[in-house]
Amino acid sequence: MPQIIDTPVDVELSADGDPRAFIWNRFEHTIIGQPQAVFTRTSWWENARTPARIDTELWRVDASRGDEEQHRYDLRRDVDGSWVLALDWG
Amino acid sequence: MSFPHLHVASAYSTHYGVTLPEALAEQTAAQQSAAQAAAPSSSFLAVTDRDGLYGAVKHVRACAQAGIRPGLGADLAVHDDDLYPLGRVVVLAHGHTDGRGYAALCRAVSSAHAGSVHAGSAHGSAAFPSIARSRLAELAGLDSLTVLIGPASDVGLAIGLRDNDGARTRLAAWQRAMPPQSVACEVVCHLSEPGTPGSVTPATRMLALAEYAALPAVLTNAVRYGTPEEAVTADLADAARTLTPLARLDQPQTNGQAWLKPESGMRQVARMVVDAGLHDDDALERLFRDTWRLADQCSLDPDSDIGLGRPRMPEARIIGISGDPFAELWKRARAGVDDRYAGTALGEAAHARLAHEMKTVEHLGFAGYFLTVARVADIVREMGVRIQARGSGVGSVLNYALHTSSVEPIANGLLWERFLSPERQTLPDIDLDVESARRHDIYRTLFDTFGSDRVSLMSMTNAYRGRGAVRDAGLALGMDRDQVAAVAKQIWRFNARDLRRALEEKPELGPLAAEVRGSAQLDLLVDLTAKLDRLPRHISVHPCGVILSDLSLLDRTPVQTSGMGLPMSQFDKHDMDPMGLIKLDILGVRMQSAMAHAVEEHRRLSGESIDLDRIPLDDPATFELIRSTRTLGIFQIESPGQMELVGKLQPEVFNDLTVEISLFRPGPMQNNMPLKYLQARHGEVMPDYIHPRFEPILRETRGVVIFHEQVMRLFDELTGCGLGKADVFRRHLGKPDQLPRIEAYLREAALERGFDTPTIDRIWQVLAGFGSFGFAKAHGAAFALPTYQSAWLKTHHPAVFLAGLLTHAPGMWPKDLIVAEARLLGVPVLGLDVQRSTLIYRVEDLEHERRGIRLPLPELSGSTAAERGRIVRHQPFTSLQDFRDRVRPRRSTFEALARVGALDSFIGYDRTRRHELLAHIQSLRGTAVSIADDQLAFEVELPVLEYAGARFDAVTSLELRGRSQTDLELRDLALAVSGHQMARFYPLFSELGVTPASELINLPGGTEVLLAGVRRATNTPPMRGGRRVVFVSLDDGTGPVSNVVFFHDAQERIGGPVFHAGLMLVRGRTRRSGTKGVSVTGENLWDLTEVARTVRTRHAAEAAAQRVDRASELAAELAALSATNVHHLWPRLRA
Repeated sequence: MPQIIDTPVDVELSADGDPRAFIWNRFEHTIIGQPQAVFTRTSWWENARTPARIDTELWRVDASRGDEEQHRYDLRRDVDGSWVLALDWG
Repeated sequence: MSFPHLHVASAYSTHYGVTLPEALAEQTAAQQSAAQAAAPSSSFLAVTDRDGLYGAVKHVRACAQAGIRPGLGADLAVHDDDLYPLGRVVVLAHGHTDGRGYAALCRAVSSAHAGSVHAGSAHGSAAFPSIARSRLAELAGLDSLTVLIGPASDVGLAIGLRDNDGARTRLAAWQRAMPPQSVACEVVCHLSEPGTPGSVTPATRMLALAEYAALPAVLTNAVRYGTPEEAVTADLADAARTLTPLARLDQPQTNGQAWLKPESGMRQVARMVVDAGLHDDDALERLFRDTWRLADQCSLDPDSDIGLGRPRMPEARIIGISGDPFAELWKRARAGVDDRYAGTALGEAAHARLAHEMKTVEHLGFAGYFLTVARVADIVREMGVRIQARGSGVGSVLNYALHTSSVEPIANGLLWERFLSPERQTLPDIDLDVESARRHDIYRTLFDTFGSDRVSLMSMTNAYRGRGAVRDAGLALGMDRDQVAAVAKQIWRFNARDLRRALEEKPELGPLAAEVRGSAQLDLLVDLTAKLDRLPRHISVHPCGVILSDLSLLDRTPVQTSGMGLPMSQFDKHDMDPMGLIKLDILGVRMQSAMAHAVEEHRRLSGESIDLDRIPLDDPATFELIRSTRTLGIFQIESPGQMELVGKLQPEVFNDLTVEISLFRPGPMQNNMPLKYLQARHGEVMPDYIHPRFEPILRETRGVVIFHEQVMRLFDELTGCGLGKADVFRRHLGKPDQLPRIEAYLREAALERGFDTPTIDRIWQVLAGFGSFGFAKAHGAAFALPTYQSAWLKTHHPAVFLAGLLTHAPGMWPKDLIVAEARLLGVPVLGLDVQRSTLIYRVEDLEHERRGIRLPLPELSGSTAAERGRIVRHQPFTSLQDFRDRVRPRRSTFEALARVGALDSFIGYDRTRRHELLAHIQSLRGTAVSIADDQLAFEVELPVLEYAGARFDAVTSLELRGRSQTDLELRDLALAVSGHQMARFYPLFSELGVTPASELINLPGGTEVLLAGVRRATNTPPMRGGRRVVFVSLDDGTGPVSNVVFFHDAQERIGGPVFHAGLMLVRGRTRRSGTKGVSVTGENLWDLTEVARTVRTRHAAEAAAQRVDRASELAAELAALSATNVHHLWPRLRA
């Protein structure tokens, strides 16, 4: 079962614009391999305002802290560019 | 750096793409300049609209503007030989093939539209454009096209179903069917959730499939919008296309990633796609390399591939000449001038002017154009259809000599240079007005004469406007239909993008604004409405544009079938000039039909032929009628505002009409030109010519600059620049950034030519203030001719003229008002009669040399065309039985005819017996005897005449009880001809003290009046100062309409009813405008039906009160009398 984290994190991007590492609980988590982005759409018409985007940007990454066992995480990037660590898949 | 996008739908893919080509090109250019190393010319952008090249020309021009290379293609459905659908593919034209690629693309699109396939679906079957793969293969030969097999193709759909074998088989079929090197695989990934379309898995499989089949794979983003923010609009487009609310869409966009991503974004996508499957090491680089290679191959050269800006006229033999077109044109023009100017003093001037015009024609190589237009005009005339040229072409002696135009240019002061000069970069434009009823016939004749590979209709792009945008946004949100309709109804004469501001500003929208503040959904609706505004919505056939070209036409424009069944180009009027397509505006003008109808009716009745083009232009009676402002029905000058201006101006000669029509335009109105002109005309101020050298130019308009031609002459006089250059300056006057340059040039040259600085200051002020406003006098004169002709007909032949108006409805006024006008002119409008009424308004000779207008059969609501056709075919009828047997009317039609009196001939026109007739018809049982057309009818009198005696007193129809003839006519004809619908209010009017419209003219200005009537028109004409003014025209049946003006404060006081009330009572003050003009400034307005109800209630209350008073009186009397004998009082009480 994935664990809901939902906490803001700092993300370091590579020159290509892919996330390379993120800092969570003061520890740097290094992303391994090609991270995959997924954009999921919203039912924006149920809300009162017209949105700037109709989808949410999620990055599914494999990362590890130091030499620890790697976990799979979901990182969310909001419209303002800030990052949230959404899920830890274990 | 920019990415070479090969699959992009622009906003011209209606209800699909949402970004205009110009914005897409600019975005690409901006991405390019953001990158550093690359050379600017390397950028590339293709537009591949769905089912067509709708945005193609705009795209190519935008690319040229933005400095990037254009590509063109189309997103097309394909089917195989068994009509089995093969999904959708992108067909791209190869560049640098001398136009071969572009021509093949045009033909492919036309072919898709010609071979529409019917597809069965859950919702029934619908036809959509689709091209046969074999046809596509044919066109793709000779290295002309590349077909992209992507996610929407049969191959991509198989991949989506994880049917890898099926995908391989289908791709192999494509490879077999298509020529070598004409197929590529299209890899698309929108990074959607795994398991949904647009995720990485199908993309990586498509890439693998290309590797397996040894085909190039290219990366696209199947773009639908420029920026991610526009994804919302694409959601709306999906809802509008499928007529389904967003919440219930079958296949909504999986996310909002179909935007024009920059290269970095596309690389990111490509990395994920390559990473998700097993591919060679260089798969990523190869994908990019192949994409760029195809982009290079598909870069089109605007000149050699598309032929941008190169005009092509029909071949000489098609327009009936064998030799050199220029020599032929000279020959015809000389002969034409000799003929046209015979017996006038202008012959010499005309020949000189012709020589001048021909020099330009030779220089520009437009001889073929003039011959083509003249040929078209000849064809129309040979068909016996009225035709008149309009537009700047009227200023040409050449056009006059060729009989293309019928307004003489020299005496009217019209200039050739306003039409054509070496300085003008665009193709000339001659508009031909023809009878509207014959327009389609003319089109068909042109297709027959020139051949459908040289002729096509032009299309027009309809953009979202306020109401449509509200409706579609409301549909997307799944809102209640009535609620949306209620909002849509209030959006009137402003753009949807201004809705939010309008809600704040316009008093009549107050209640809606309050609702919006209270409802989140309505608020969202307002937002979405603004997003849709101005987006292309659909294309349709242009009301007048016909494209004439040579045999290469279908290599340069795709065509599809228009609503009237003729081929229509996918290009609109903005695309004509760049594509070198000669467009003729053949505009159907209803007034021309109305006048033709009048002339024909007159000929039928009297045998006398009127040639309207040869009537004298100085008929005193005609001008007297115009000056009286009784201009209802007269071309151009029948609107309330025009009536007022005509009254003030009091035209005396033809040129006054030209001036009047030219003054009544937004520019002159906003610049107060009418007032300045009127003051000088009526001698209230001295005309101010500024300088004696300007007087010859400005004399005709008393010193006021009204016409483009005057501005040109002034420039020429001031600077000696020549009239051609002067027209360029004139057009630049509308561009503020050009003004300093023009001013500097003008000042220097004018000083040199002997003008002093104060004069130059003043004339420059006039010219700069003129801006691009004003009117070409050529237009004004061309309009003035039918104005005069229709006025002449109304003056001398009112009955046939009004019959023409009623048949062809050319003007702004409803039929009721024309009927009322007929009544006032002493022309009876005769009721419907099955013995006499035909399919059009016919005129009948009556006693005492009078003429009446007979109501035609189509005015009867609910009858069928077949019934009407049988009535006309079998007229006259000997008896009701005969009528029934031959016409076989449905019961509803039969009864309606009886009710309105159309069957009165069978009861000896004795209206009092109509109820018996109706009762008889209602009692008829059994079917009518069917009689063949060639058979005689039974000559049997119907028993209807024998209804008599006490036994039949009961036989009657209650339907007619208590109904006046007017009521019956309004019920079955929607048009009251025997009386006016306001007549029933007359007692009320007299009680309230309402002034009849016919009496207004006798009142001094400033009189307080009450007016009432039915609304006939609402206008918001352009006004000086920009504040909106609402004109409401009221008809009370007593005379011409009365025009009530509501200014801003009154609009605020009254609110919605200014626009919505149908029958109304108005309080206001009279406002005189000249001797013949009067209007009313409205102060308040009430709904007349409510007023009538209130008055009725008051009457009832008063009557009741009277009864109470009387009862108490009697009670008092009673009390005074002896209590023993009260019975004698009852009779009095009852009274």
